[in-house]
Amino acid sequence: MRQYVLKRLCLVVPTLLLISIIVFSLNHMLPGDVVVLMFEEKAYAKDLDALRAKLGLDRPLYVQYFSWLGDVVQGNLGESLWTKRPVVEEMMRRLPVTFELGAMGIIVALCIALPIGVLSAIRQDTLKDYAARSIAIVGLSVPPFWKATLVIVLPSIWFGWAPPLQFTPFAENPWQHLSQFILPALILGIAPGASLMRLTRALMLEVLRQDYIRTAWSKGMREPRVVLRHALKNAVIPVVTLLGLQIIQIANGTVILETIFGLPGVGRFLVDAMFQRDYTVVQGVILLTSSIIVVVNLLVDMTYAYLDPRIRYQ
Amino acid sequence: MNTLPAHPQKGQGIPRRALLKIGATAGMTLSAGLLHAPSALWGAEAGQPKRGGILRAWGSDPPHFDPHLTTNAKTHAALSFVHGTLVRHKVGAGIQPGTFIVEPHLAERWEALDDTTYVFHLRQGVKWHNKPPVNGRELVAEDVKFTFDRFLTEKGNPLRYILEAVDKVEVVDRYTVKFLLHEPFVWLVDVLANPLGTWIIPREVVEQFGDLKKPESAIGTGPFLLERYEPNIKTVFKRNPNYFLPDLPWVDGVEWMVVTDPSAALAMYRSGQFDCGPAPWWSVRQEDLESVKKTHPHLLYQDFLSTVSHAIYMRTDQAPFNDVRVRRAISHAVNRQEIIEAVWIKGEQIPAISRGLAEWSPRLDELGAGARYYQYDPKEARRLLAEAGLPKGFKTLLHTTNGTGAGPALVDAAQLAQRALKEVGIETELKIEEYGAYMATTYLGKFEGMVLAPISNAWDPDTVLYGLYAPNQPRNSSHVDDPKITAMLKEQRQTQDREARKKIIFDIQRHIADQQYYVYLYCVGITGSWQPYVKNYAPNSTYDYGYRSASLWLDR
Repeated sequence: MRQYVLKRLCLVVPTLLLISIIVFSLNHMLPGDVVVLMFEEKAYAKDLDALRAKLGLDRPLYVQYFSWLGDVVQGNLGESLWTKRPVVEEMMRRLPVTFELGAMGIIVALCIALPIGVLSAIRQDTLKDYAARSIAIVGLSVPPFWKATLVIVLPSIWFGWAPPLQFTPFAENPWQHLSQFILPALILGIAPGASLMRLTRALMLEVLRQDYIRTAWSKGMREPRVVLRHALKNAVIPVVTLLGLQIIQIANGTVILETIFGLPGVGRFLVDAMFQRDYTVVQGVILLTSSIIVVVNLLVDMTYAYLDPRIRYQ
Repeated sequence: MNTLPAHPQKGQGIPRRALLKIGATAGMTLSAGLLHAPSALWGAEAGQPKRGGILRAWGSDPPHFDPHLTTNAKTHAALSFVHGTLVRHKVGAGIQPGTFIVEPHLAERWEALDDTTYVFHLRQGVKWHNKPPVNGRELVAEDVKFTFDRFLTEKGNPLRYILEAVDKVEVVDRYTVKFLLHEPFVWLVDVLANPLGTWIIPREVVEQFGDLKKPESAIGTGPFLLERYEPNIKTVFKRNPNYFLPDLPWVDGVEWMVVTDPSAALAMYRSGQFDCGPAPWWSVRQEDLESVKKTHPHLLYQDFLSTVSHAIYMRTDQAPFNDVRVRRAISHAVNRQEIIEAVWIKGEQIPAISRGLAEWSPRLDELGAGARYYQYDPKEARRLLAEAGLPKGFKTLLHTTNGTGAGPALVDAAQLAQRALKEVGIETELKIEEYGAYMATTYLGKFEGMVLAPISNAWDPDTVLYGLYAPNQPRNSSHVDDPKITAMLKEQRQTQDREARKKIIFDIQRHIADQQYYVYLYCVGITGSWQPYVKNYAPNSTYDYGYRSASLWLDR
């Protein structure tokens, strides 16, 4: 196990290095120039060339890359070109919002996937099964931004009510703070929940036909014990793998939902930075989120051992 | 534009100085009336004023807070809450949108000693916000001098041109300042009232922060204190308890909220989370209007025309746009009414000054010979092109931007114009630019081909006409250099008589219509909206959200 973790950790380094190169290059390939964008807004240089020199953007790209990488290795993601605030500081202010939304989205996804997936499997080809599968298809097909728009717009037309769309910090009003996350978390969790539900159902159907389950039934074991203890635990391993991948989808989903629901998270920060061509912010945010995703995948692999002791890290 | 009689009227048998005294007395009387009996003016319309409550309003996120380093409306709108100007535009329920009546503010009166010398007498006892480093000290003439010295000398001030006529500002005594001009400029008082860069700022704050970009540096004499700035979320303003106008502001504070998604913003308005319309100018977008009126008939609505002019501008210093026949052909080719109806739903075709500023904007049938070029006539357009030696048309660029308050609709309008131009043989490649890039380059005349975009916002006619037509002005986007216009522009700047000045301004617009240096298109129709409990409020297309917020009250 230790050897496996070490090996995976060693792989993390070239992965992140590769990500850093891709992020840096793509960022600078985008049409539009931060210097031109800033010139009118900030006007703290005589001309475009002076501003470019001031921001250090007049150096060759590879020099800029290694200079940035050197800072990153020392834990410094640089400063926003626009606000001059450290990227790490800005991220730390916003990460809790995104984590909170993401975590609630995952909880929603699991709350949808596991009970409905199991129910659908044990009541195969019944009305409940068909209904659950149909809802899953709808959940997968409808894009989150559209669901979000409907959720905001329709109640405001029908009932003159809209969810709170101005961010309130937890310390200021805990209930209002949480209530702000409920709807975006629901919307965020529906699509991954539907994918996971379909997989749970398929795997449960497979496991429920195994000999050891038949043996359990024949021994007169009660349904909840057979389903939850013997079948679900074995069926859930690939679900955990998919959940790891769905976390990436959830992270992507936060970008749009934070904008629509007015949540000041990393997603919205990234969108604004991309529009403003704030290179250091875009690079910092993507590098950090990539690192988080790499770590999440590592944790997913390590969870296998807990769920199935037969798995060995050789 | 109506102005208090600050300028002496010639030729009426009254000596200049006597008239100035009358004007000053009238100014003082009116200002005193405003200060001590606001409810007498507003009571009939809005009932008795009521203190308290927080105004929750659609707002925007300023790129920074330095009024001398940007033309960005978001900065100036935010600063209107915290800062004061020497004179200001009157606000309140009785003000018709499109009228900008100048009234005293930090200056209680003013006088023109001659054509190039203006003296402003400051109100005594006005206090800066009670925040370090000014800590509530009194506003004095030295502050006004510091402000305009910085305005005139700050490198990179894109608004420098609006006070180009000002040579220097001198302190006469603790409460009196003198503006000395290079040349006569009758619009000085009007320009000082515009909520665009003329805010009075304190020296200590500039010295402490180096510039005024940080929110902490937004310290003024205005009705509200900036309490909290949360980027991309909101700016929270708190009532200034030491504001020099008694009782104002009526509300305890303002939450100036940033909601970028229009559907979310509208839902907030429908559900009562916003007190005023959820779009620029606190309006409801025309595409949403019918539905909102149906479901929320109790909300208040007021239609008005924007003071912003939309136009096609082009490199008139380069071929083929240096040929007036080509410019006239472009004007004939574009179907203005079609674009208004298809994209903006409401609006009106315009001469050089938007019809939103009705007093200074002639109707199309008053434009004389130039009026004919407003007719949609592709056949005549092709004929003019052929006459100009371009029977097969030509290829060029058509720039626009997706970042103004108009949003994606502007791109739709550009596409309709592109199609119309193609019909007469002008093939254009559409270039959609980001707002910052557009403002830094194309808007300042650094482009090739043509541009379709909002071109000016008129609170007074001079700022628009002089900026767009005087040679070497940074805002002269079409690169116009027409000696006839330049001479008329200078003449109207020296003409004290209002009617005579109006005649010159109309003549300028007739000549402009004939020459089509800018192919003016339309101004957009806006529907301002607010909750019925918001009293003493009227919409207007000005950035001065601060004084409107200070003057209204909430009667929930």
